[in-house]
Amino acid sequence: MRKNASGINNSKQRIENKNNDLDLYLKALNSAYSGIIITDNLQYDNPIIYCNKAFETISGYAHDEIIGHNCRFLQAQDRSQAERKIIKESIARGEECKIEIRNYRKDGTLFWNELFISPVKNDDGQVTHFIGVQNDISDRKKAEYDLREEKSHVELKIQQRTKELQDKESFLSSIIETVRESLLVLDANYIVLSANRHFLNSFKVTTEETVGNLLFDLGNQQWDISSLKEMLTRILPTNNPVIDYEVDHIFPHIGRKVMLLNAYRIEFEGQYKDRILIAIEDITEKKEQNRRKDDFLSIASHELKTPLTTIKGLFQILQRLSAENTDPKYVSTLDKITAYIDRLNLLIAKLLDTSKIQSGNLELHMDPFEIDKTVQDAVESMRLAAPDSDIQLTGNTGSIVAGDELQIIQVLNNLLSNAIKYSPESKKVEVSIHKVANFIKISVRDYGMGISYQDRLKIFERFFRVSHIQKKFPGLGIGLYVSHEIILHHKGTLWVESEPGEGSTFNFTLPIVTNK
Amino acid sequence: MQPKKIMICDDDRGILEMLELFLELEGYNVICEINSTHLTKQLISHKPDLLLLDLWMPILSGDQLIKIIRSTPEIKETPIIVLSASVDGPEIAGNLGANGFVAKPFDLTDITDKINSILKN
Repeated sequence: MRKNASGINNSKQRIENKNNDLDLYLKALNSAYSGIIITDNLQYDNPIIYCNKAFETISGYAHDEIIGHNCRFLQAQDRSQAERKIIKESIARGEECKIEIRNYRKDGTLFWNELFISPVKNDDGQVTHFIGVQNDISDRKKAEYDLREEKSHVELKIQQRTKELQDKESFLSSIIETVRESLLVLDANYIVLSANRHFLNSFKVTTEETVGNLLFDLGNQQWDISSLKEMLTRILPTNNPVIDYEVDHIFPHIGRKVMLLNAYRIEFEGQYKDRILIAIEDITEKKEQNRRKDDFLSIASHELKTPLTTIKGLFQILQRLSAENTDPKYVSTLDKITAYIDRLNLLIAKLLDTSKIQSGNLELHMDPFEIDKTVQDAVESMRLAAPDSDIQLTGNTGSIVAGDELQIIQVLNNLLSNAIKYSPESKKVEVSIHKVANFIKISVRDYGMGISYQDRLKIFERFFRVSHIQKKFPGLGIGLYVSHEIILHHKGTLWVESEPGEGSTFNFTLPIVTNK
Repeated sequence: MQPKKIMICDDDRGILEMLELFLELEGYNVICEINSTHLTKQLISHKPDLLLLDLWMPILSGDQLIKIIRSTPEIKETPIIVLSASVDGPEIAGNLGANGFVAKPFDLTDITDKINSILKN
């Protein structure tokens, strides 16, 4: 009995010890950070028969709401995940597996579950239970997702930027290939890095002959031009662009060319620096055309003057031959003809003036003169020539300017006759002369039709005529051009202020030499 | 007193006829030459007191003629007045040793004034 009693005691003791162990294990399970469940594989649909505290915390469900359910309740409606198949197959085969699966808490919110399933087998090798260990890896998943998102965003941006650059580059290169100007890019040692189509066509060369070679070696050293070398050596050290540098050169194959060269130092941060862009404009034809125009003007005015000389002479002979008692009407008619011949001569002289200015042959006889008196004389003679007009003169500077007085008188006559001509409704013309710093400023104001902004921009160009007034006020479009050039040659400026319908003020300045 | 002999060389017939008429009215003996290549021969044979010479002429121009005249002993002293519509006329006339210049178109009094002042000397 004692034996028995001791046997029972022993059994009791063992049970008590086991219970103590179990209690300890349960406590351990409940203090685990991972959610742990046990399912009974021998019962229908593998129900959960145990869950620890952490599982309740992770899933948001209470213990009683969990027990008896199949684990899939955590998947809510999200049933199409590939991981489900893995679980199913592992369970069917009684194998362990580890997956990451989207699960949903009781409140419906998503959490990522890192699930480890492990089978428990009895002595016969039959799977009796499965143990599921779950970890909420939502934060890690989110970080991974964010990283992936960020990466794909960056990749997208890079793609976009690359495409933009490619577009920009093809845009630029299409411009470069289209412009009707020769373009060259050189490195700091004057080796050609690229040449556009226009360059190749103009100078009859190929890309192979050009790119990679020293500029001065191109086409049998045809670019070995000392003035060009000098210009280029100026660019890199100073960083100053060279603008409109004229090069006149005879090329072996294409003959003489007059070119306008513009050169810039170009730098593209991080990629290159000290490169030179050269733009070459062929102005040979333009120059030739201008020369022909000047020649034409010069010849035309010469040829016009020849018959005029005869006519003028013949009329003077006629005047001389008229008898003492000739009808006065006959005499005055002859006089009128002579006046018109002089006017025709003046027009031809103006034409010649433009051609002289164009060819740079305008001769100025610079002498000091009293500008006040010159202006007074010009006004006085214009009053005589146009007695209907009301020309008022104000100001007196007492200054001496250096210049060609005859040319300045021509400018004054021009401005005064324009003022009268273009203000048919208003007779008043105001002339003023003032001292402004080291300059004399002379203004001629009329109250006539005025000049529009567009026309003001062009009014000092050769042969420019405001189109709608050509019929009413015929002219050659030379006077203002010549005046402008004359004042420019005197180191002064001529400009206009005007509004349509409100009249115009033409002003010009001349540098003062001394004050009286 | 013998009238003074004036030769005119110009390739423009109108100017020649007009000047001939005028200078004859003024009492000069006038010889006209329209072909500049004949001028030297004409000068040598007529020995005029003064030559009125155009500049722009075909084949032989006025400036070439002045050089020829000034280097031809029989006629090198001939007083020459250049008549031209050319811009650079005064310069050419001066440089080549002409005695005067009158710009076309001119007043006839300018011509007589110039002729008189030269012939007086």
